[in-house]
Amino acid sequence: MGARILVVEDHEDNRRILRDLLTSRGYEIIEAATGLDGVTMAEAHRPDLILMDIQLPGIDGYEATRRIKANPALSQIPIIAVTSYALGGDDVRAREAGCDGYVAKPFSPRQMLVKVREYLPQGRPDNAP
Amino acid sequence: MSWLPRLVARLPAGVHAKLLAAFLAIAVLLITVSIVGLQALSRANHRAEDLAKLHRKIAAYRQLQHDTTSQLYSVASALLAPDDRTLDAMLRQLNQFGYDLDRLQFVEQDEQDLFAQVRSDYEEFIKVVTHAIERIRSGARTDAGGREVIGRRAALLAAGQGRELQLTRITALADRLERLTNQLVNKAEADMVASIDDGQEAYRTSQRAGIAFALGSIALALMLGYAISWSVIGPVKRMDARLREIAAGDFSQRVVVENRDELGTLAANLNRMSDELGHLYRQLETASRHKSEFLANMSHELRTPLNAILGYTELITDNIYGEVPAKIRDVLERVQTSGRHLLRLINDVLDLAKIEAGQFTLSMEQYSVGDVAQSVVAAVEPLAAEKKVALTTAIPSDLPRGTGDERRITQVFLNLVGNAIKFTEAGEVKVQVAEVDSMFHVSVADTGPGIPEADQQRIFEEFQQADSSSTRSKGGTGLGLSIAKRIIEMHGGRLWVQSTVGKGSTFSFVLPIRASAHTEE
Repeated sequence: MGARILVVEDHEDNRRILRDLLTSRGYEIIEAATGLDGVTMAEAHRPDLILMDIQLPGIDGYEATRRIKANPALSQIPIIAVTSYALGGDDVRAREAGCDGYVAKPFSPRQMLVKVREYLPQGRPDNAP
Repeated sequence: MSWLPRLVARLPAGVHAKLLAAFLAIAVLLITVSIVGLQALSRANHRAEDLAKLHRKIAAYRQLQHDTTSQLYSVASALLAPDDRTLDAMLRQLNQFGYDLDRLQFVEQDEQDLFAQVRSDYEEFIKVVTHAIERIRSGARTDAGGREVIGRRAALLAAGQGRELQLTRITALADRLERLTNQLVNKAEADMVASIDDGQEAYRTSQRAGIAFALGSIALALMLGYAISWSVIGPVKRMDARLREIAAGDFSQRVVVENRDELGTLAANLNRMSDELGHLYRQLETASRHKSEFLANMSHELRTPLNAILGYTELITDNIYGEVPAKIRDVLERVQTSGRHLLRLINDVLDLAKIEAGQFTLSMEQYSVGDVAQSVVAAVEPLAAEKKVALTTAIPSDLPRGTGDERRITQVFLNLVGNAIKFTEAGEVKVQVAEVDSMFHVSVADTGPGIPEADQQRIFEEFQQADSSSTRSKGGTGLGLSIAKRIIEMHGGRLWVQSTVGKGSTFSFVLPIRASAHTEE
């Protein structure tokens, strides 16, 4: 089984695209649709990487990131912020909130794959079919 | 002095009425000056006449004095050695003199008493002299006949009485007459001296009055001119300044004009116009902002499903869902191309909408313009190679790091280099970067078809290309240049084009190395 990736994304289609893309590359995917769910899932499943959408219902991606990073048990998990292209200065805010990486929407699945591979811990290569 | 024009301005009368009043005031003043001058002239004339009269009077009085003296002398000598002929001549002279005295008409009121005294004394004198002469004559006649001693004695007595009369009455009267005529002469001379003094004094007075009136008239004319012209010029200047502000788009101020005349009405209308324009301007602004906000929101909403379409399409073409037959792959690639074009359009519209709505902000950071240029060149190299367009660069390696929005500057580079390759069918595209006077100078030159002079401004407007049919065929949106220009301007730079039809185009921009965000107007 490949690395475990938590996708926090409220939009059904975006979730499914990431799921189809990443599972096809052998990653294990767990999903959350809200920021609070994301924090809970992170605590429960200890993923190897988190893809965090920023515009979420309830607490937003920044706040969810802060909460996860505040937990010493989870603070080592890299978090890639997925922000809307529409909002300027998001990269700075994402870094301030504790995100390790940053992908601007719209992303192409291929770009996303490159980014994911960049952040996954060494020695745990994905098991592409 | 500024209160004066304001006072004039506040008068509730038209400008023409104020001007008329001022001209009338000056005219009245001129007329007054003329009248005063004429009066002074006429007084001077009268004084000259009076002086002439006095002169004549003095001459007459002197004559009177002289005559009196000679009369008295001849009376004295005649009485001393009386003979008939001398006495007759003397009496005639005396009466003649009385007649002359009657002809002295120009006697002043205050001299009348004196003159009347002279006259009555003179009559008295004539009477006494006549009486004395009669006595002397009767004595002389008796004496000459020599008929009787008694007669002779009586004659002697009569002559003695005559002489006594002469000693007592005549001499006294003569002295008094002499004194009176002297008085008359002295008085007339004193009058003349006084009259000359008066004349000089009057001349000085009228000179002073003339100068004062002239100065007063000049001062009044200047004051009226100042007050009236400034009561007009001040408001006109203020309204002019206000109009310039309105032309510059400032509708918030009001022009304060105190005038209660045509200018006051004009200012009120100006303020009303400004308010109305401001109202319309705010309405337009609101409408424009609503439009931009709507566009921004709509673009955002459109992008979400479009991203899903593009994402799924890419997954399918990448065989995530199984092997895709060549025929379907071909169609899917067209779907992808169209989808990406649509996404670019939406992104550009969103950028423009944000620029229009004032929400387009730059995130300033350190960047390397060389790296930006190289990465853009690397990104478009495949396209250039595909079109067989030579892509050359002149990018010094020692360029300083700049401050600016790297992502937006990359966007500008990408747009210019991408366009250059797209529009060049054969030849080369050259990207040059240089540093001159704390500015980056960037130029992208191509050997494409060039842009006619008439279109060189238009291409920076939204949805405009030199040849609008090329928009679709080149896969552009027609918005990129407009956005690029605005991005550079927001950095405090400038973007322009030089082009010759048939030879190619060079798009250039200058960018401050240390840029600070300029708000878009």
